[in-house]
Amino acid sequence: MEWFDCCAEFGVPGIPPGPFAATPAELLDEMDFCGVPEALVSHVAMRDESPQAGNRLVSEATQNQPRLHPVWAIVPLHTGELGTPTAWFDAMRADRVKAVTAYPDRHRYLLNGLTFGPLFEEMSARKIPLILAPDWRGITSLLAEFPRLTVIVTRHSNWGEDRYFRPLLERYQRFHIDTSNYDLDGGVADAVARYGPDRLLYGSGFPTLQMGGSLLTVAQAGISDDAKAAIAGGNLRRLLSEVKL
Amino acid sequence: MTNNSTIAKEFVARGRSEVCPIIDMHGHYGTFSGIYFPNPYAEQMLGSMDRAGVSAIVCSSHAGLCDQERGNREMAEVVKKHPGRFYGYRVINPNHPEAARREVDRYPQDPGFVGFKFHPSGHSYSIAGEHYVPALEYANEHSLIVLSHTWGHSQYDGPKLVAEVAAKYPQATIIMGHSGYGEWDVAFAVAREHDNVYLDLCAAYRVNGVVARMVNEVGSHKIVFGTDQPWFDPHYCAGSVCFSRITDDDRRNIFHRNAEKLMAPFVQT
Repeated sequence: MEWFDCCAEFGVPGIPPGPFAATPAELLDEMDFCGVPEALVSHVAMRDESPQAGNRLVSEATQNQPRLHPVWAIVPLHTGELGTPTAWFDAMRADRVKAVTAYPDRHRYLLNGLTFGPLFEEMSARKIPLILAPDWRGITSLLAEFPRLTVIVTRHSNWGEDRYFRPLLERYQRFHIDTSNYDLDGGVADAVARYGPDRLLYGSGFPTLQMGGSLLTVAQAGISDDAKAAIAGGNLRRLLSEVKL
Repeated sequence: MTNNSTIAKEFVARGRSEVCPIIDMHGHYGTFSGIYFPNPYAEQMLGSMDRAGVSAIVCSSHAGLCDQERGNREMAEVVKKHPGRFYGYRVINPNHPEAARREVDRYPQDPGFVGFKFHPSGHSYSIAGEHYVPALEYANEHSLIVLSHTWGHSQYDGPKLVAEVAAKYPQATIIMGHSGYGEWDVAFAVAREHDNVYLDLCAAYRVNGVVARMVNEVGSHKIVFGTDQPWFDPHYCAGSVCFSRITDDDRRNIFHRNAEKLMAPFVQT
């Protein structure tokens, strides 16, 4: 299987969760230890410092790392911090950024149409994935406003969130969840049986979470080899290949 | 993959190790509030266990966390039906002290039980409280295992409270369920300082670096494998152990050797 992690982070955190990867080289060392060739990566500074600083850092650090694919963080356009939408998408194309993330609580904004309407309409058309932490009420409202938006929810709680996200899997074909914290016994096989293998993506949640737990769970999920390959990396590669910058 | 562990390679290739079975010291049974379980019952749990090479699991009934007498009867039936694969903890609910005492009195009647299960946080009652005393005294007298939920900084089952209980009942084996999650330094010190205290990986395994810290700061001889099954897939815990930077000897201790030692007096064939 060609693993492609949809949820990894590097950079020096203000409050280390434990061992962390300060640099891409350290992240790659952990990926190699676990047999993961590629990852979609964020820089800690995107969340803990500012999107402007973090986006620049993740681009610079991954510029010569073909195995690491940078993600950028968004903030509302109304403050001018991201420039114009046209400039933003041009910059993404220049830096080969094919997915974005958002930290609405940390960066103090609401993730809705009032705040992000034109940007999310454009992201829907361009099929740019939006990677979010679980706020199920917020995500449910967001998808009602932008049903064609490609969304990947990562690191949802291990305290059984199926009752929150399964209605979204059923309703919205471009809604996905990652497996980083999805260790529900039989959960992956059960979700695949109901919704097919295309809606789950392997994520490690590193460095908060141990990289190998989710990996072995997917590798031995009791589903077909094709389904495992899709979750391990095929789905993410397909989503990124669909992005139109 | 640069991980040279023979055991890790076996688990990745086949989902289990032929030479390194797993004994799960922290299981439950049945449905529970607030979560959907695809595999809540014995036959389903056995399927997951077989795929991961889990030879035996020690469980407490979810029902018992509310009604201990009904739940423990349910658990006894499962253990009786699957000897050698399922073992039981008798749940003690200190909020019903008379029923708790009856459950202590009933302890000898059901083979395949290894001790008691406490959930002080879930019951909002301190592990050091008087209503747990009959079970602790019985466990101490008969060298039984007490698996207690523990959580960092909890007023009911934080690791410092576990230390008090462990010191008072040295013949009972105390397994710190979840290893005092989040208050790692204190939990590890308690496990180091008390011969009768073990760390349980359940849920803790997911936290990056914690397995290696346990091994380095306490020793792999004091760590047991746990999943809360039917909550958590044994492969997630196994993967966390396989991909921690520890030795295969440590992995064997965690996966089965320590549990075999603890379970030796209770083994059913």
